[in-house]
Amino acid sequence: MTPALVARGVSKSFGRPVIGGVDLTIAPGEFFALLGPNGAGKTTTLRMIAGLLRPDTGSISVFGVDVLRDTLNAKRLMAWLPDEPLLYDRLTPMEYLEFVAGLWRVEPALARSRAEDLLARLGLWPHRHERCEGFSRGMKQKTVLAGALIHEPKFLLLDEPFTGLDAASARLVKEMLQARAADGAAVLLTTHILDVAERLATRIGILSGGTILAEGDLTALRARAGVNDATLEDVFLHLTRV
Amino acid sequence: MFGQGSFPWLFGHEIRLLWRGSLLVRSRRYVLVPVLAVGLVFQGIALLIAGAIARHPLPAPELILVANLNLFFFGVLMLSRAMTAAIEVLYSRGDVDFLLASPIPPGQVLAVRMIGVGLSVAAPWLLLGGALANAMAARGQFWALAIYPMLLALALFTAALAFALVVVLVGAVGPAVARRIAHLMALLMGVLIFALGQAPRFVAPQVMGRFWQAMMPAVGARGLQWIPGEAVLGRLEPLATCLAFACVVFGVVWITLDKKFAAGSISAAAHRPSGPPPRRDGQFRASAAAALFIQNLRVLARFPGVVTQTVYRSLTLVPVLMILGGRINIGAGPQVVAPLLVFLTGQLALFFISVMVGGDQAPELTASAPVAVTTLDRTRLGAAVYATLLIMALPLLGVAFRQNEVLPVMLAGMAGVLLSNLIIGLRLPIPLIRAQFGKAQTGTVLGLVLGVAVSSVWALLVWLAVTPDALGWLLPHR
Repeated sequence: MTPALVARGVSKSFGRPVIGGVDLTIAPGEFFALLGPNGAGKTTTLRMIAGLLRPDTGSISVFGVDVLRDTLNAKRLMAWLPDEPLLYDRLTPMEYLEFVAGLWRVEPALARSRAEDLLARLGLWPHRHERCEGFSRGMKQKTVLAGALIHEPKFLLLDEPFTGLDAASARLVKEMLQARAADGAAVLLTTHILDVAERLATRIGILSGGTILAEGDLTALRARAGVNDATLEDVFLHLTRV
Repeated sequence: MFGQGSFPWLFGHEIRLLWRGSLLVRSRRYVLVPVLAVGLVFQGIALLIAGAIARHPLPAPELILVANLNLFFFGVLMLSRAMTAAIEVLYSRGDVDFLLASPIPPGQVLAVRMIGVGLSVAAPWLLLGGALANAMAARGQFWALAIYPMLLALALFTAALAFALVVVLVGAVGPAVARRIAHLMALLMGVLIFALGQAPRFVAPQVMGRFWQAMMPAVGARGLQWIPGEAVLGRLEPLATCLAFACVVFGVVWITLDKKFAAGSISAAAHRPSGPPPRRDGQFRASAAAALFIQNLRVLARFPGVVTQTVYRSLTLVPVLMILGGRINIGAGPQVVAPLLVFLTGQLALFFISVMVGGDQAPELTASAPVAVTTLDRTRLGAAVYATLLIMALPLLGVAFRQNEVLPVMLAGMAGVLLSNLIIGLRLPIPLIRAQFGKAQTGTVLGLVLGVAVSSVWALLVWLAVTPDALGWLLPHR
């Protein structure tokens, strides 16, 4: 089976090295959590995979499509959710979804039914005619999440997707993402909420100083850190301690 | 220099924000050179005007009337700008809550905001009026320097009035409508100034003479309404009265709003729109180009002040349509109409494309979509051309019916200026969108200067093409 993501020797520097030779493989249906302290290079890694930033060295392919050479076809398979919601203040959620669906060329009738379904499930249906400028952070986050899901991507790149969500919304979003993964989509998310990573992720990668320090399920990470029966938080702190 | 958290310290912070948000600093650094050059040209022109004023001194009543009228125009335009600035600093900038959460007294924050808005709206008029005042002072007429304190008093007064009006309006109709009202006020004043400028063309000289006579103060009149005019002419007592009046109004508004501001009831969150919003269901499309095209038109249509700014730029159409309709005759019609329309096309295209480029709040969303960069640019260009032609359609039809002999040249000129200015706007959008708190600014004055220059060149080329013997005046008389 073609892996959802294969990244080999990916590096990037902005004057100083930010990412240095990252290797990462994610299988379809896998839920991968990329953890790391502030400034570890998580967002830069996601932006390179999303085709927004060109790495200095290395290769990236998504479901066999080379992100660097065939960027548009790779983007067709992906949805990228940044840590700050990318939203047009003067659009309504429905207009926003219409726009995103158009960008990914989703058939109009299908897009409309998906938009209505997503807005209803995420509790945005009563606000569908309101402009996003008056939305709370959580409502904005749910709107962009709906945008990320409307074209049913095979690979979801989510940078801090639970920021601003209340407990019920966070639970709902987790269920929606797990359902996507169960359907064969791969999910790569970054988060600082280690409980989320521990409960959701099938595999976890710990990035620090631009390199992957450890990768695997919790048992593998514990073994790598040499701490048995420890929580993910303990493992994370142990591995990233300078 | 000042104690942290003190009034001067906070004021310094506000001035720094205003300075960094100003047109000059928001633009690329090297634009300061042409701007300084333009300033020097302005000062040169002011010296010429000051010379003319010195050679043809007006009687005192006429001077007072002119000063009063100018103050009225300045005041309304300042009020309009101050209202939009007040909406921005109270509801849009996003740092009010941040400051209110600090241990700085809320009244201090409000006072600094009000003074900052006053200074920001006074700045352009101080530069313009100051150029003339400096020139007059250079000729020994030092009374002209009174324009500086008078404009500051006017700015303080309009800023206070703007804050009061904004709080009332936002409470009643919300920030968006309040902003529209402010823009409308500026628009009406612009149209009034334009109409007054054009009036001598349409109104009989006797009627105009009677009108101005009726407006004029009687010799030795001491009415309250003439105090501002007398203050501009450097008379000490009226000047002191105006300054005191502005400070009192400012103080009253500040005291009135202080408690509401501290209670957090002056904020966008405190406004709840009445009634359901209009239905906007969206039209789903399976084409990225169509989605981008519609999106660009939406960004343009919902840009605050789009109507006002478009009408301002399109005021040129009034004389054009009058010439085409045979109502007035300025020179030979085609020689005026064709270059004017070409210039307007360029200016509208530059404005529209700049809104689309600068107003895109989520450029990385389109960057992450499977859409080629060229598609993005093409749809922006297409939407800008569509919006421009929508406005130019009527005058184009007028030319086709009335002066069809110039149509091919004009169309060629319009196509040329459209292409040039769209490319300029795409790469160097003019600064229209004020940066949000913590966000980078888009737009550059260089684009504005280049766009005007290129529009002028195309208009000149069209003028040369449609005017027989256009350069004849350069040759020696035969």
